[in-house]
Amino acid sequence: MNLFGVLEISGSALTAERQRAEVLASNLANAQTTRTPKGGPYQRQLVVFETVQAGNMRFAGVLSGVSDRYAQGVEVKRVVPDPTPPVQRYEPAHPDADSQGYVAYPAINPIEEMVNLMGAARSYELNVAAVQATKNMISQSLEILS
Amino acid sequence: MSRMEELCEYLDLAAFRQKLIASNLANVDTPGYRTRDINFQGEMRRAEDRLGPEAPTPRVFEVPGLIERPDGNNVNLDRESLLLARTQLQFRLGVELLRQEFQRISTAVKEGS
Repeated sequence: MNLFGVLEISGSALTAERQRAEVLASNLANAQTTRTPKGGPYQRQLVVFETVQAGNMRFAGVLSGVSDRYAQGVEVKRVVPDPTPPVQRYEPAHPDADSQGYVAYPAINPIEEMVNLMGAARSYELNVAAVQATKNMISQSLEILS
Repeated sequence: MSRMEELCEYLDLAAFRQKLIASNLANVDTPGYRTRDINFQGEMRRAEDRLGPEAPTPRVFEVPGLIERPDGNNVNLDRESLLLARTQLQFRLGVELLRQEFQRISTAVKEGS
């Protein structure tokens, strides 16, 4: 039984939750952005989580050894744009206003993003607790022969 | 099955369960993920009854009766946190007992000389 593989699982969740928090932070930061390199307003991004076998994880598999079908980690499979159309606001003086005086703003609700961000932070903490627990178990097993 | 073998089995099962709990916690936000667990006592009994030297692979099942979220995920944080603490203590218990066992042998070796 390999406890280092367990660290790998919790580590994958830490990476995934951090990526999710990054995407959410970028959504929050760009809630009022009307210009992007692609043109048009910023589009809200969503992360898609997927389970992954611990042995097949990126950067992993060195310590955990062979792939184990019971060890399921998680990874961000894709980051997809939210298809919700932009919000039109009447601001004729704005340089990005169209001929009718409307400016397209990203359809981002800061409250929703904040709630998701808190969720990501909590899940991160949770997996940190799991890492601590596994670390304790590993160091305890080193005490057997002391 | 000797006492030491039994303790090894106990530690192996605790580590296996820890792996499942870590998986469940890692996938707390994955849509459609189902909570998985083993029957600790049942697996312990199965290991004691085995014939060969090789321990049987524990049977993993999807835990029934958990409340499912709209995205199909049914990981219950309270359940997993409690199990995490419990498994950690179980592991600690196993380690302490195994240590005593080794110390007994060590004492016998030293006092006999």
